[in-house]
Order: sequence, then C-alpha cells, then structure tokens
Amino acid sequence: MKGFIYFAVIVGLVPVQSVVLSHVSLWGVKPDLGFVAVCLVGLIAGELDGLLVGLALGWAMSLFSAQDLISSVVLKGTVGFLAGLAGRQVVYLSPVVLVIGLLVVSCLAGLIAPFALKLNAQQDWWWATWTVVLPQACLDAVIGGAIYWLMWSRLNIEQLMSESRM
Amino acid sequence: MRMVNLRAPYNARRVALVLAVILVLGFLLLPGQLQSIFQQVGSPLGWIISWPLQAVAGIHDRIAGIWGRYVDLQGVEEENQQLKRELDLLKEQNGQLREASVATERLSALLEFKKQVLPTSVAAQVIGRDTGNWYKTIILNKGASDGLQSDQGVITPAGVVGRIVKTTASTAVVLLVTDPNNAIAGLIQRTRDEGIVEGTTQGQARLKYIPLLSNARPGDHVVTSGLVGGFPRGIPIGTITRIDKEEEALFQSAELSPEVDPNRVEEVLVIQSSSIPAEGERLGVPKHKP
Repeated sequence: MKGFIYFAVIVGLVPVQSVVLSHVSLWGVKPDLGFVAVCLVGLIAGELDGLLVGLALGWAMSLFSAQDLISSVVLKGTVGFLAGLAGRQVVYLSPVVLVIGLLVVSCLAGLIAPFALKLNAQQDWWWATWTVVLPQACLDAVIGGAIYWLMWSRLNIEQLMSESRM
Repeated sequence: MRMVNLRAPYNARRVALVLAVILVLGFLLLPGQLQSIFQQVGSPLGWIISWPLQAVAGIHDRIAGIWGRYVDLQGVEEENQQLKRELDLLKEQNGQLREASVATERLSALLEFKKQVLPTSVAAQVIGRDTGNWYKTIILNKGASDGLQSDQGVITPAGVVGRIVKTTASTAVVLLVTDPNNAIAGLIQRTRDEGIVEGTTQGQARLKYIPLLSNARPGDHVVTSGLVGGFPRGIPIGTITRIDKEEEALFQSAELSPEVDPNRVEEVLVIQSSSIPAEGERLGVPKHKP
C-alpha cells in the first residue's frame, strides 16, 4: 500500500510540476513540489523512505528537465534522508517550525545547486540567491507548511509517524 | 316559411339593375354639398353606434395589452432564454472556430515551411516546461522512438527555438535559445560576421565573439551559421538591439531580441541531423566523380 502511494505521488507530481505549475509560477519561479514531498515523506515515514522516494523522484523529475540525473537524484535523495533523520529526533513538530525548517533546507539545497549544476557564468551565486533560491524557498515553505497543516489538523500526525516508522 | 322569390320577372330585374347603377352613379356624381348633407344626417346614428364600438375596442385593447404584456411575455421570456442559450452556443462555437482557424493557419504555415525547407524534419507539440527553475526548457510530445536525439535543432517558421538536450522514448527536452547555458553558432546576415549565440538571465539572447572591426548595428538580423549544431544555415535567431563594445576587449558582443517567443511556442519542427544539407549540397557544387 505504501509503495503504491509513493508511486502515485511520483507519477502525479511530475506532470503537475511540469504542466500546471508553469502557469502559476510567481516571478518566473515555481515551487519544487518534489522537494516538499520528499521532506514530508522523510519526516513522517523515516530516512529510508525519504531516501528511496527522493532518489526515485529526483530521477523522474530529471527526465523532464535539463538538469543532469546525478545532481537531481543525489540532492533529492539527500534531502529525503536528512528529513528522515530530523524527523526521528523530534517528538512534536508544529506547522510553524516545519515552515521555518523547509525554508532553511530549501535555501541550503538551492545554494548547492548552482555549484552542482555548473551553470553559466551569468548565473552566479548572487543572481541565483535572489532570483531563484529565495523565492523558491519561500514558495516551498508555504506549500509544505500548508500541506503539513492540513495533515496535522485532520490526522493524528504523531500516531501516523510512529506507525509508519514501525 | 316565407321564401324570397329570386326568380323575378325579367323586366323587374332589369329595372332594379338599372336603378342600382343609377344610384351608384348618382352618389358618385353627386355634388360635394349634397354628400355632406347625407353625412350630417347620418352623424347621430354614427354617434350611437360609436358607443358600443368604443367599448368593444377598449376591451379589445385591454385584452390585447394584457396579452401582450403578460401572457405573450411568457413566450418572449422563453424566446429570450432560448436566444441567450443560442448566443452562448454561438459564442462558444465562434471561439472554437477562431481557435481552429488560428491553429489551422499556424499548422499550415508549419507544414508549408517543412515542405519547402526541411523535408525530413519532425513536427512536435509542446506539452510542458522544465520541472525545475534552473533551466529554460520545453518538453515535446515526441521522443527517441520518433527519431529525436540530443543536439538536434528545434525551430518554428519564425526562427530558432532551441536544441534537444535529453530524450525519453516519447518525450524530448529542448533547451531554449534564451537559456544562458545554450550556445548556437550565429551569423550576422548583413555583415557576415560569425559568433556564438547564448541566452541571458533576462530571457533574451546575446551574440558573443563578434570581431572588433565588424560594423554590426542595431536592427541587423542574426541567423544560424550552419557550421556546428543541429541547424542548417540561415534560420533566423534574432535581431540585434544593442552593441556592447568594451575597451581593451578582443571581441564585441550584441544583445539580441529572439525571433521566437519561447513562452508562446505551441508547435515546433525538430530538424533531423541527416536532413541538414552539407555546404556543398546547399551551394549546388557538383560531386566529384571517382
């Protein structure tokens, strides 16, 4: 069942990210739903699930991007694994804390990306920070926080976390 | 029962007919004054008759008014609704027809362009955009199974769109000409100076490595040079909007306004590498015989 849900998330997220979000992007920047999904899976289901979903989602998303496979897979997998580790250390996680956490982690991942992707000299660190990294981190944090708040208010998230890690 | 005997004697009928004719003619030939006398004599009778006439006319008008304002309006209301529905339907059909017309024009132009210039190119539709924010790409609905490969050029009748950087069996990712990581060999059409076109972070393009002695100026058109990459010579890339000449620099560069707006591209042609004519074929040079 869990595998089917992960498969559905991966298959569903890529078209949404590629087709739908291109129409609703803000200032030409769209949120990375894959990053948000990997973080949430890692937090709720643990580091192994986070890692595997991150690897699979990074691979699937790289097929529809000019981004190379390795950087996409490694970045998403690492984020999922780290989210799982972080989730293991906390007993209670409020939506506000999650939003701040997503903002910080998205910024860090975004700052690594220009170096990992070996972009053109025009796309320097300063440009990347203000044009892509910060707006995307804000969007990721807002969307991730909203999804987590919905889950937090509708489901017993602590029980879900403990059950899914068993 | 008393019956009217219409079978009057021949003479009596003849006399009555003549009298009637004379009466009619008499009225017609009667002087105006005598006619007004008849009118005045008949006016009291007319006044009496006018009362029921007006009453009936009033009732008729009232009924007609009620019918027109209330009963008949139900039909108008229905008719109005029907007309509104028809109008909506026609508006929708009109929109669809306009869209179909625009699409037909666009596809006809694409087909004509394909026939004239690139007989072995593959037409494809844009189905999506890059899943990330770092690259400016579009996703096509054709892939490796349709013969698409990396480094093949992608164009529209207006000009260069970009080049393929990745394919799956059924899709292809095209790095746009406006992406800073793209590089296409370009040629200034008027001066014949060559350079490399790459995108900018502002969504425009830039022609780099123009010789210092070049007299390129804003308004000059830049086309593909056909030397490297998946494009034949002469496909429009953009128009020079500004020349940048720095002191002590070995080259000058030019800012371009791309001919194709990548955000509005819906259908494209992918140039298959084997279809690009060699320089000799293009110029019509006869082949060497062994």
